[in-house]
Amino acid sequence: MLDFTVFHTIAWPGAYAWYFFVIGISVALFFFSALSWYREEFQPLRRSAFYGSFALLVIGGLLLISDLSQPLRFLNILNPAYLKFDSPLAWGSLNLVSFGLVSVAYFFMMNKGNDALAKKLAVLGALLALGLPIYTGFDLTVHQHRPVWNTPLMPVLFVALSLLSGAAVASFLASGNEKLMVMLRRFMLWSGGATAAMLISLLGTTAYGGSAAEITFMFMTSGTMGMIFVGLGMLLGLAAPIALLLAPVGRQPVVMMAAGVLLLIGGAALRYAILIGPQIVHTYY
Amino acid sequence: MSEELRLSAYETRGKPGLRRFGMVIDLRRCIGCDACMVACKAEYDVPVGVFRTWVPYRVVGKYPTVKKQFLPRLCNHCDDPPCVRACPVGATYKVDDGGFVLQHYDRCIGCKACMASCPYNARFMLPEHRTRSNITSVVDKCTFCYHRVVQGLVPACVQTCVGRARVFGDMNDPKSEVSQLVARHSTQTLRPEQGTKPHVFYIGADRNLTEYGRSVYDSRAEQDEERATFNRNHRI
Repeated sequence: MLDFTVFHTIAWPGAYAWYFFVIGISVALFFFSALSWYREEFQPLRRSAFYGSFALLVIGGLLLISDLSQPLRFLNILNPAYLKFDSPLAWGSLNLVSFGLVSVAYFFMMNKGNDALAKKLAVLGALLALGLPIYTGFDLTVHQHRPVWNTPLMPVLFVALSLLSGAAVASFLASGNEKLMVMLRRFMLWSGGATAAMLISLLGTTAYGGSAAEITFMFMTSGTMGMIFVGLGMLLGLAAPIALLLAPVGRQPVVMMAAGVLLLIGGAALRYAILIGPQIVHTYY
Repeated sequence: MSEELRLSAYETRGKPGLRRFGMVIDLRRCIGCDACMVACKAEYDVPVGVFRTWVPYRVVGKYPTVKKQFLPRLCNHCDDPPCVRACPVGATYKVDDGGFVLQHYDRCIGCKACMASCPYNARFMLPEHRTRSNITSVVDKCTFCYHRVVQGLVPACVQTCVGRARVFGDMNDPKSEVSQLVARHSTQTLRPEQGTKPHVFYIGADRNLTEYGRSVYDSRAEQDEERATFNRNHRI
């Protein structure tokens, strides 16, 4: 360790975590809206989930643009002369814009009553929606020197987190509809279980990684990120709601919504800790 | 570097007909005068709080036989630069002839993907307001003094180095001083395991300086204070 060094800023600040959170919920809500064309239980969510998804998409886009140090140059990323496909950000921006366009078309077809086309757009939109958390994870994965980020788990983890947070928000939109709540509970449990399994394996590989990985593990468990990652993210925001959902009262709408609140807290905390934690060690060198 | 080690199309080390500039820093000669930092600041009007080159140190030994070990740092102008791959708009690019990793300031959107991808912390964000330059709110870094090198000069930090610790030249020319230093001495690079193929070589770098250590986790109280001040000033 150096006795004197120049400190460095964290490259990607907390605003990105909010973007990950908001866009994760947005795409999951669109997915539920699309699912309503194929599963009867989801029909009550068709419109409300779509409106929620679109509002969050706009908020997410604005968050992303406002975090650029040159916000007006966000158009550069859509300029074919500049776009460089080596970067996952280039693919992500195209995915985001395509998802927005398909969402608008879906809205018009749904309002027009053109169910056949709306159904096709729902499938296309759901595929593009799936691409967004994958790209989010991939965006982190490509940084080869960052512990935690540089694992193939990241894209899958972000898909699971997206479904988890999206199902939590959908449980508020469900208005106590029994059949829908049963399905959403399943989504919460399966994606929650998958997230827990991935986090455990991620912690294992990080703890036994190289020196940077080991220090990152320390920062994320017992260091400055410990309370957010383990306390809020894993215990309060994942283990507690899963336990609540598995409890005998776990099928009651009120209990499910309480679990949903905890899952949202956990989803935000986990995204924040996963984004910031692996950047801490490098700021000292 | 042999041809077999070349992985990506970006790499130009050893390619016939192309120059590949690099720097050798002989730490046995570095006296920690910081003249390189000052020369760099003067050359580019680098704003307060950020650095294109910086000289961290570590104090070793036990009183009264203590000494400082220096490790001058700068952009490593990697042969396979992760920042070039990370940039979505081609604002960061590598010059084939010379291997300089440079920045199109007018294209940079400030997404900071290049900063996140750099294992050497060589990149920083320029402030919103500058007195003598209108290049603001974009990412900046060391250019290996491209503007000087194309005119046959050496980088400002190399020219000013009083101990001649910094040596600059074409690594693709086996007769250049840098090639000969690398050939004759045992040299180290930072984070070689990342596969970036950095082109700043150190002679006599101590592993305690170059590797991650537990002490960042158990940092000293005064360092935490410095860090808190830094975070306040940089609005983290």
